[in-house]
Amino acid sequence: MKKTGVFVCHCGKNISSTVNIDQVVEEIGKNPNVTVCRDYKYMCSEPGQNLITETIKENKLERVVVACCTPSLHEETFRKAAESTGMNRYFLEIANIREQCSWVHSDMNKATPKAISLINSVVGKINLNNSLEPIKVPVTQKALVIGGGIAGIQAALDIANSGYKVTLVEKNPSIGGHMAQLSETFPTLDCSQCILTPKMVEAGKHENIELLTYSEVEDVSGNIGNFKVKIRRKAAYVDHDKCTGCGDCTEKCPTKVLSEFDEGLGKRKAIYSPFPQAVPNKPVIDKDNCLYFRFNGKCGICQKTCLLEAIDFTQQDRFIEDEFGAIILATGYDTYPKEKFREYGADKYLDVITGLQFERMVSASGPTEGEILRPSDQKIPKRVAFISCVGSRDPEHHMPYCSKICCMYNAKHAHLYKHQVPDGEAIVFTIDVRTAGKGYEEFFTRIKDHDNVLYVRGKPARVIKKGDKLVVWSYNTLTGRQLKLEVDMVVLATAIVPTAEAVVLSNKLRIQTDENGFFSEIHPKLRPVESMVPGFLLAGCCHSPKDIPDTVAQASAAASKALQMFSQPELSLDPQIAFVDPDVCSGCKLCVPVCPYEARIFNEKKRIVEVKEALCVGCGSCITACPSGATQQKNLQDLQMATMMEALLGS
Amino acid sequence: MKKIEEINDEIREVLLEEGAEGIYKCYQCGKCTSICPWYQVDLYDFPVYRFSLETAMGMVASSEDKNELAQEIDKIYRCVGCEACVDQCPHGIDTPKILRAAKRLLVDFGSYPETLKSTVQKIKNVGNPFGEPIENRADWAKESGVPQFQEEMDYLFFPCCLPAYDPRNQKVARATAGILQQAEISFGILGTKEHCCGEVVRRIGAEQVFTQVCKANIKEFTTSGVTKVLVSSPHCFTTFKNEYPEFGADFETLHITQFLSKLIDEGAIKPAKEFNKKVVYHDPCTLGRKNGIYEEPRNILKSIPGLELLEVEDFNRNLSVCCGAGSGGLWMEWDKDERIVNVRLKQLIDTGADIIAVACPYCLQMFEETLKSMNSEIQVMDVTEILYEAL
Repeated sequence: MKKTGVFVCHCGKNISSTVNIDQVVEEIGKNPNVTVCRDYKYMCSEPGQNLITETIKENKLERVVVACCTPSLHEETFRKAAESTGMNRYFLEIANIREQCSWVHSDMNKATPKAISLINSVVGKINLNNSLEPIKVPVTQKALVIGGGIAGIQAALDIANSGYKVTLVEKNPSIGGHMAQLSETFPTLDCSQCILTPKMVEAGKHENIELLTYSEVEDVSGNIGNFKVKIRRKAAYVDHDKCTGCGDCTEKCPTKVLSEFDEGLGKRKAIYSPFPQAVPNKPVIDKDNCLYFRFNGKCGICQKTCLLEAIDFTQQDRFIEDEFGAIILATGYDTYPKEKFREYGADKYLDVITGLQFERMVSASGPTEGEILRPSDQKIPKRVAFISCVGSRDPEHHMPYCSKICCMYNAKHAHLYKHQVPDGEAIVFTIDVRTAGKGYEEFFTRIKDHDNVLYVRGKPARVIKKGDKLVVWSYNTLTGRQLKLEVDMVVLATAIVPTAEAVVLSNKLRIQTDENGFFSEIHPKLRPVESMVPGFLLAGCCHSPKDIPDTVAQASAAASKALQMFSQPELSLDPQIAFVDPDVCSGCKLCVPVCPYEARIFNEKKRIVEVKEALCVGCGSCITACPSGATQQKNLQDLQMATMMEALLGS
Repeated sequence: MKKIEEINDEIREVLLEEGAEGIYKCYQCGKCTSICPWYQVDLYDFPVYRFSLETAMGMVASSEDKNELAQEIDKIYRCVGCEACVDQCPHGIDTPKILRAAKRLLVDFGSYPETLKSTVQKIKNVGNPFGEPIENRADWAKESGVPQFQEEMDYLFFPCCLPAYDPRNQKVARATAGILQQAEISFGILGTKEHCCGEVVRRIGAEQVFTQVCKANIKEFTTSGVTKVLVSSPHCFTTFKNEYPEFGADFETLHITQFLSKLIDEGAIKPAKEFNKKVVYHDPCTLGRKNGIYEEPRNILKSIPGLELLEVEDFNRNLSVCCGAGSGGLWMEWDKDERIVNVRLKQLIDTGADIIAVACPYCLQMFEETLKSMNSEIQVMDVTEILYEAL
């Protein structure tokens, strides 16, 4: 038997209020395998850690069990402390008596014996632990950024400027994302394009950035430090090496379709570059709408127009494969479909538009060249209603969360409207106005005061057409009176939701999302930019709704996490993974297809299966598949499991 | 004197015990108030959004001033239980249910509208809200030759009190029975053995009377061997389907439009005669919003040759507006200019239809009564009546 010490943490009152610590210490002390058992109020504190290290030295302990919170919080802390005494770090383990005991029970008489069983099970198991060393793997010092909005651009630039290579993949023909669609940004009213385009150009020209627009990630294999990625480059039907972006083809193209960039308010051609400042500013052909493709080779005007012979209708999707050390997810957001709001007539009235459509309307590059004209008759609307929380904060029908940016952009929109139509009236319908952010409350107050913007506290229930007006039905909950307001245009602040592509990616890459489809971070407070899968980092609205400053900050943070990885020559991976006993393995290969990480390889020469250690994450799938018991988990072998079960269930 | 608010936790606790739920979730957005049918009645203001907060404060029916209390009670009984607010509330707060908790208190104290007291009393005594003798409950069926239900029959047809006693609604019962007979469906009625389903007394707050009729019906259905029930009224439908099981009921309930729509799809009935009229369908709250049955009645109407089906574009399906008869509204005597039914009828008339098709005896009764004093040519018919004419 190894000399084992047990350390029981009170966690303030988190554990001690439901688990009787004195009784635990007494009972554990009776376990013949335990040399010493101590308790302390905060074991993770410096004196707590010192108690552990001193006791290890004093008693020449060979194994340590800390009974405290979840290992995901402090296992590392305590292992470091144990290591400082010369002990192998894998000789220390956690018995989780907080999340798995005190927090989920209220009856001390039942929680205390459970805590004792949990600790005894780990004491029995750790006795059989082997000394392990972390697995060292080399790092591919190159990052992949998925998504070319402001988050992806910022992350790519930060990494590139630190001297590392980055590949930036964007599904659209240009980078820029939603920020490129915006008119002015709150609270400073900077022109969005003016502050964004220099970054787009820099990303497009940077020697360390490989820009792959009109491309999508098809598949990712491998592990942190060494991912293998397959990228689809969608056929643009334009040879971008030959094309100079002169725009002649676009001008001559006879087909007009609704522009995605203009949120359906304007038109674009079938061969198009989404907006004038696009990077790269080279067109692609939208195959679904192109006459050449639709009618079997008829048309082809663009091909005849292009003197450089850059149009190539025979182009096919191409695939490229590359290796990366870290992947930054920056897939952005979509706005919740407005058609779902039948009560606001958003499925049938042209003059009920979204906030993003309003942005296009007030943008100088937009379909009305910046003039606020309502879609139905191109007249200047003299009264505009802005409705907040359309699809947000509505757990019953739509999204439960606050989309965070709408209160601020409503204020901005009201200001932009009043600036252009001084004799018009802007009315904002709200439940509450949320202005947490630097300079935000000041901006909100200034807009209301300077521009005489009327804020009505109430969520409208209906928008009904009456002649050429729209009537907003609401109740002013502050004056306590009914308000039926005739307006010329209604702007809905529709919720921010994850993109459809993010949903596909999360399934493909096995990245966990929250219940709303946003990528989950590993720890909401302390590790906010790392996903649950090592090596995947998060930036921007794919993680949660965010404004531009928060997005840029998170993008830089994600970049710094990637750089942290690249700054080390090799990464240390957890060695508590699967291994194969070569004498027992029959080479049946049942485990090979079971492994989700492609970490199992059949060795033709030895006729047995082997583990690719850098790929194995220790999920245990192979162990359940193995019929002979040849596959085992390091430090969690069958005998150890049996020992634990015995302690938990009673022999 | 100025009013100072206080929290009355005693009233609050009682209301919570009586079934008020979700009151703390309310963020006072007021969407309930502007979707409520009273919002469209110019002369009456009904701030629905305050009930959650007032319940949480224990401020419902709490005034010590007699006149004020009377006003509060009047307000509580304005709710017609159409659930438009529940449908639109971002948190799904059931304000009619919150108000029902208050109504239960008021019924216990006998402090509720006199007309409703009489309705409750009649249902308690003779099992129908009109005080008609129970022996006459099957009179409507005498000429049609509808048999008494026998255990070997497939379906019990349960026509609701209105079609059983009210002369106008009796025509609906006869039309329905006629269709079922033509389709050779094996069915019968319990007639004098049935009671009101109790929906209205429950909505009024008279829980004891509800329990009484509910148990009497369940007992009768069980001893008669009923397994499947066809109902004319969405109110019977929702009560049998969603509320009776709690009291031990074990039978399947179908609204007549569900059943007939299926028969049409299967080819068991074929409307052959032309019905050359413009028909607008009015979604009854309890059939549509409450139970999601929007398509079946439309499907029946669409199957009739010559019939042109119109919609109240802005106010159909879940956005339909109540006729005003729910939760005892049929028996309330609100001022002539303060009635929801006027609003709804105007919307229906404005479509230019010849006929309003309904699938609920309350809506039929409410529209018919109101149209008598209105200058309009429009007629009201139950979906089954139209179908019967087309067979």
